[in-house]
Amino acid sequence: MSNSLLINPSAFEAGLEAAFRARTSVTETHGAAYERFASQHLPNRRREGWKWSDYNAALRSVSPASAPDAVETIAPSAFAPLDPIEIQIVNGRVILPTDAAPKGVRFGIMDAVGTIPELETHAIASMNVAMSPKAFGLEIKNGVLFNRPVLIRHIGNGAAPIFSQTMIRVGEKAFATIIETYEGATPALASHLCHLVIRDGGSLNRFIMNETDDNTVNHSICAAKIEERAHFRQTSLSTGARLSRHETVLHFWGEGAKAQIDSAALLRSDRHADFTTHVLHKAPGCETRQLHKGVADEKGRAVFQGKFEVQRAAQKTDAKMTANALLLSNGAEANHKPELEIYADDVECAHGSTCGALDADALFYLRQRGLNEHQARALLIEAFAGEVIDVIENDEIREVYTAKVSQWLEARA
Amino acid sequence: MLKIDNLHVAVGAEDNKSEIIKGLSLEVPAGEVHAIMGPNGSGKSTLSYTAAGRDGYEATRGSITLEGADILDMDPDERAAKGLFLSFQHPMEIPGVQTMHFIRTAMNSQRKARGEDEVSAADFIKLIREKAKLVGLDDAKLKRPFNVGFSGGEKKRMEMLQMAMFEPTFSIMDETDSGLDIDALKMVGDVVNALRGPGRGFLVITHYQRLLEYIKPDRVHVLAGGRIVKSGGANLAAELEKSGYDQFVEAA
Repeated sequence: MSNSLLINPSAFEAGLEAAFRARTSVTETHGAAYERFASQHLPNRRREGWKWSDYNAALRSVSPASAPDAVETIAPSAFAPLDPIEIQIVNGRVILPTDAAPKGVRFGIMDAVGTIPELETHAIASMNVAMSPKAFGLEIKNGVLFNRPVLIRHIGNGAAPIFSQTMIRVGEKAFATIIETYEGATPALASHLCHLVIRDGGSLNRFIMNETDDNTVNHSICAAKIEERAHFRQTSLSTGARLSRHETVLHFWGEGAKAQIDSAALLRSDRHADFTTHVLHKAPGCETRQLHKGVADEKGRAVFQGKFEVQRAAQKTDAKMTANALLLSNGAEANHKPELEIYADDVECAHGSTCGALDADALFYLRQRGLNEHQARALLIEAFAGEVIDVIENDEIREVYTAKVSQWLEARA
Repeated sequence: MLKIDNLHVAVGAEDNKSEIIKGLSLEVPAGEVHAIMGPNGSGKSTLSYTAAGRDGYEATRGSITLEGADILDMDPDERAAKGLFLSFQHPMEIPGVQTMHFIRTAMNSQRKARGEDEVSAADFIKLIREKAKLVGLDDAKLKRPFNVGFSGGEKKRMEMLQMAMFEPTFSIMDETDSGLDIDALKMVGDVVNALRGPGRGFLVITHYQRLLEYIKPDRVHVLAGGRIVKSGGANLAAELEKSGYDQFVEAA
């Protein structure tokens, strides 16, 4: 590698560069994106915003394979009973459902996303743009209220880095429900990039479930453009991975739009989950609600970084952020960084952050009523995470999430 | 039924414990209701927490037995399954915990520990509706997270609801009357009197005599300075109301 763009690349980065060079049909966009990645390297803990999620350290000595392992069988999704339109993105390759798209909905495989301005300076997003072969595209046309959920399963397997992209457009006054799951085992990084646009008066419910294995290193980033009076609602649940981060970058482009971004992490062994969000209020009268609940047991680590930015034009912004962590053992850790950056003077913005153990008084109360220690603790943990889960309006989706929480609790030692 | 013998309890940090209960002995035979009265700081709540098994309220000496079984070595839930119920002076609000789900889980855990069958969902609903009516809590309250946003009086009604549901062998009622109006006091009396019977016992802890107008005690004990300083019949409560506790504070 005589003319490497990377200075002192790690084994992993060198492998990535080889993979990039082996790509056929590299466009200028790809080349520029790769250069942006190479000039920054994989983020490490000294980089602003990456202190608690060091991708360089996690991947440095991983030598990426050139091709992922084959995925032989794919078990049915826990969301299958909802009869969703199911799209599988297996090791970066999009597998569309066999039936045609319903009226008012368009989906298919499309050319990969070019550079997204909001993510231009993001190293992993740049790498994704440079490496992704194709993208999955979904459009809900203007005025279409599409009630059937669209399930996008990101499934990975093996020692090669995996890249995938989705583009979602919800038309004017349209409605859609998207469920995205992250599954499998990808120790050498699975990177997902999502670009979504909600047009005027449109509404999107997005659900995320991360259930990858212990050795997985994954990263997902979603850049959302929210237009006038549009609604965006996102609920994420993660049981973590060796290193896992879900980033959401929301830009309010039009007046009177609303977003609710909720997330919960349930972590044990030495699993890690990072929820990082940046909400940029560019237009007046928008409303943001954010609630994060992190539960860390054993040596789990729950990271939350939330930033609300309010530009001068975004008067009457109403934004509230709450992050609570529950630590169940001495080795567990929670790291919170709530940030408000406000340039408008007539706004209501607030954030709150707490971190603590289970309430001893509540535990005693429950045990006095006959619950054993395990039951009492489980009930309180369930209640803690329930503030995110119980408010899911769709009964069937809520049940899948509730079951996931119960499953996690039952596995508690 | 409940026998407390020479009980000593110290509370506080490990290196700075102070003895609150200092050689308390008391016996409530099956079928009886006893009242404990006493001034603030006399150890009434310490006694109830020790009996229920709260962390930090360990007996340093003496014993508490329920129907002959030593309960001090039992976990709080084992004591509950044995039939010990504590009506809390300050019931908790527990956000996110669904009231019906919790009470049913508690009931079934107790039954399971006693080797009894679990109560079916249908029977449970029927029972809780009936008892909720008795204690004056409407359905909407049962659908709320446990005690969240409840007034002090409503929280006490929730305590009485659970007591009526569990039908405990022995109930300790820690200042259940505090903050209650006359109608609510009457309700507490109704719940206790409905449960009262040969196989059950009650220890009613109170400052004032007015609850005892609705729950006629068989015996009244005065707790002061960590031990029982006087015992008598139901009329002792009325005497105390007149003369106050000062005499016993001196005596202790």
